[in-house]
Amino acid sequence: MIEMRDITKHYGAVQALKGASITIPAGKITALLGSNGSGKSTLVKVLAGLVSPNSGSILINGQPVVIRSGNDAQARGISTAFQDLSLLPMMTVSDNLLLGNEPRTPFGMVDREKSRQIVKDLMDRFKIRCSPQDYVQSLPSSTQSMLEIAKAVHRNPRVLLLDEATAALHMDEITVLFDILRDLRDQGLSIVFVTHRMHEVFELCDEAVILRGGETVKSGPVTEFTLDDLVYYMTGQRMAHHAPGQDVSETSRQGQAVLEVKNLSLPPRVKDVSMTAHAGEIIGIGGLEGQGQSDFMRAILGAKHKTGGSIRFLGEEVAFRQPAQAVKAGMGLISGERNREAMFPDRTIAENIFAGNAAVGPRFRFLPKKFVRKFSEDAVKTYRIKIGSLKDAASTLSGGNQQKLVIARWIAVGPKLLLLDDPTKGVDIHSRLEIHQILRESAQKGMAVIISASDMDELLEIAQRVYVFYEGRVSGVLQGDSMTQENMVSLMMGFTNEKADGLLMKSKEAQA
Amino acid sequence: MSAAEHRDLIPWYHPKKLLISFRRSPPLVAFALSALLFLITILINPKGLNNRFIGSLILLTTLLAISSAGQTIVLIGGGMDFSVGAVMSAAAIIATYTMDKQDSVLIYVQVLALSLLMGAVVGLLNGFFVVKIGLPAMIVTMAVSNIITRLQYVFTSGSPAGWAGQKFVDSIIYRFFDLIPSIVIYALLFVPVVFWILNRSRFGKQVYMVGNNRQAAYLTGVRVNWVIIMTYVISGMMSAFAGILGAGYKATARVDIFGEYAFTSLVAVIVGGTTFSGGVGTYTGTIAGALLMTVLSNLLTTLGLPQTMRDILNGVIIILLLMLYNRSKAVRQ
Repeated sequence: MIEMRDITKHYGAVQALKGASITIPAGKITALLGSNGSGKSTLVKVLAGLVSPNSGSILINGQPVVIRSGNDAQARGISTAFQDLSLLPMMTVSDNLLLGNEPRTPFGMVDREKSRQIVKDLMDRFKIRCSPQDYVQSLPSSTQSMLEIAKAVHRNPRVLLLDEATAALHMDEITVLFDILRDLRDQGLSIVFVTHRMHEVFELCDEAVILRGGETVKSGPVTEFTLDDLVYYMTGQRMAHHAPGQDVSETSRQGQAVLEVKNLSLPPRVKDVSMTAHAGEIIGIGGLEGQGQSDFMRAILGAKHKTGGSIRFLGEEVAFRQPAQAVKAGMGLISGERNREAMFPDRTIAENIFAGNAAVGPRFRFLPKKFVRKFSEDAVKTYRIKIGSLKDAASTLSGGNQQKLVIARWIAVGPKLLLLDDPTKGVDIHSRLEIHQILRESAQKGMAVIISASDMDELLEIAQRVYVFYEGRVSGVLQGDSMTQENMVSLMMGFTNEKADGLLMKSKEAQA
Repeated sequence: MSAAEHRDLIPWYHPKKLLISFRRSPPLVAFALSALLFLITILINPKGLNNRFIGSLILLTTLLAISSAGQTIVLIGGGMDFSVGAVMSAAAIIATYTMDKQDSVLIYVQVLALSLLMGAVVGLLNGFFVVKIGLPAMIVTMAVSNIITRLQYVFTSGSPAGWAGQKFVDSIIYRFFDLIPSIVIYALLFVPVVFWILNRSRFGKQVYMVGNNRQAAYLTGVRVNWVIIMTYVISGMMSAFAGILGAGYKATARVDIFGEYAFTSLVAVIVGGTTFSGGVGTYTGTIAGALLMTVLSNLLTTLGLPQTMRDILNGVIIILLLMLYNRSKAVRQ
């Protein structure tokens, strides 16, 4: 059993943890829940030895310990699968799994035969389908996540920390993972499971600990909570329920066609995709992760170059060679990969908000200081971004607020078409609802919005029409009454509309 | 308000807070270190505290600060320009050769046009090779720098080429009130241009964006390649301008006369708080860094050590300084 008591940690002026406590019993799966910026990741990192707390104590089986480093944590039987993977992209699957843990021959060399066997067993157990000699960077993100977990499990820990381990996994992989985790639990492991997906908590976890603003606000057996309770403790507010495919859908279709895509191809990722978006519409792009959604959006923006098909934007045929042209013409892209593709972490919050404007305006015209400040102040106010000071580095913000920052950057520029590529990835439910609200308001003012998301509930809630991608093609379009979870799931699995109907019929027959 | 509370509001009452504000502001550190080294210099050689000494300190600092402006912009954009010294030398040679002891507006215009054109072309080459061929900036600019230096030999046959006009020389080294060198007039024109480019234009914002996160800048609609090439072009032109001023200071120019500025400007920029990784830095910091480098060099001269010993000490101190500046801060991951 591990206890963490009154842990505090601050980064400069930002208080990430203020007296968070958690008890992790053996033989149980403990869910660690909280909004973005509640301190979950920091708490996990403290236990993993990556962050040293400013105060507080950690007890293992009642004995106070100090965890100084990642190695220290591992020596004490604490193993972690990180959200932003600890794999080395230029090394093979096999090397990654065994890194620092290689079986040795009596002469101290790596025992290749034994290595092969261990890796094979591990990959079979996790049902990872790739070659042990593949380079990690060549694998889809879901496989990489699975490897990250397999690597952590391979170290035979007493405590296993999973920081948003399921965020990138496909449904079948999640099933495999959950079975393994239940096994490990029954063997007496302590497991900490961090997630934003509430249904996973009820499906898998025994205990729940909820953080808010760096403090532990509630803990107890999962059976004592309802979904509404969890959301309430995480956000301090009761959940607002939106009816799916909200009201605007009737009026919006009258808007001008902003984007008309015909038979767009970008082999091997996108094949023959057509789509139309009108002013004021929110279009959803669904599907499992990595089915060509990102490439499709980047092809529209000119960041990738299509090999076939046509794109009409505002009634004119376009073929942008780089995003700068698309942005100038009135498009914007928001990527869910905040760190890699959206944030300027060392620059100030003000500069990050102003970035969209900075990219398009006249380059060498004098830019008064006041102008930039006013621009960002307005955006912060309008989009309710929680900040200390506009002059702070953007990296001091929590994930949800960072994403709001990026969205504010674009909406403030007022594009005709806004592309969002899984924008709420790793964003807590409260910020997510706020982001949805901002998008709805912008659509009502006449912006066309195309949003992709791996979470289908999100799309069903916000979009008026959903194009579901499967292996680079549109496997079906849902709208109005057809926008149901069942239809969506079957399209995501690659059944086309007709096949899906057939499948539903069958399942109904089976029930009858 | 009690005395203790009052004290809390003033940072310099608290050594710890003072340390923190120093660490957040590299220019402040550089200025403070300069003051310290200056003090040591004066203590070692009290006679050195005279108008001539201070005047030459200002002159050399100004020249280095102007030489390092382009380097600052390139480094913030995520690159590095090792051709600063070669371009300065080439511009100095163009200046002295063209002037050949004469002074007239027409000649000045010729010098300026030729030098800036040369700087722009070199910058264009640097930028083009870095962006289009994707080679590391340090290697490319070093290679280009070598070519420029060899061309200087070809052009001058190795002997000093011509003399700067006397009026031009005076416009650099004349001392107002027997103290302030007239080169500061050029600085008063030049420095606002740098601040405008870096801090008060969208181009400057784009340079910071590209340096901090290239992919994000690209997807946000910045013409990343164009911006990077432009940083090298601007750097080339600014180095050329610095070279012309340098020609006035030295009166004549031989091959590679300002070669050491490639390295010195880089150190001044880094010591001023601009990072190797790009996206962070200010020109104020570079000015502070230039002052620190000049004061340090003066101190080593005052010590009266042989040249070899001076160079060794200089290297050791620079490494210590760079270590001081590269200490990572605690940030949220």
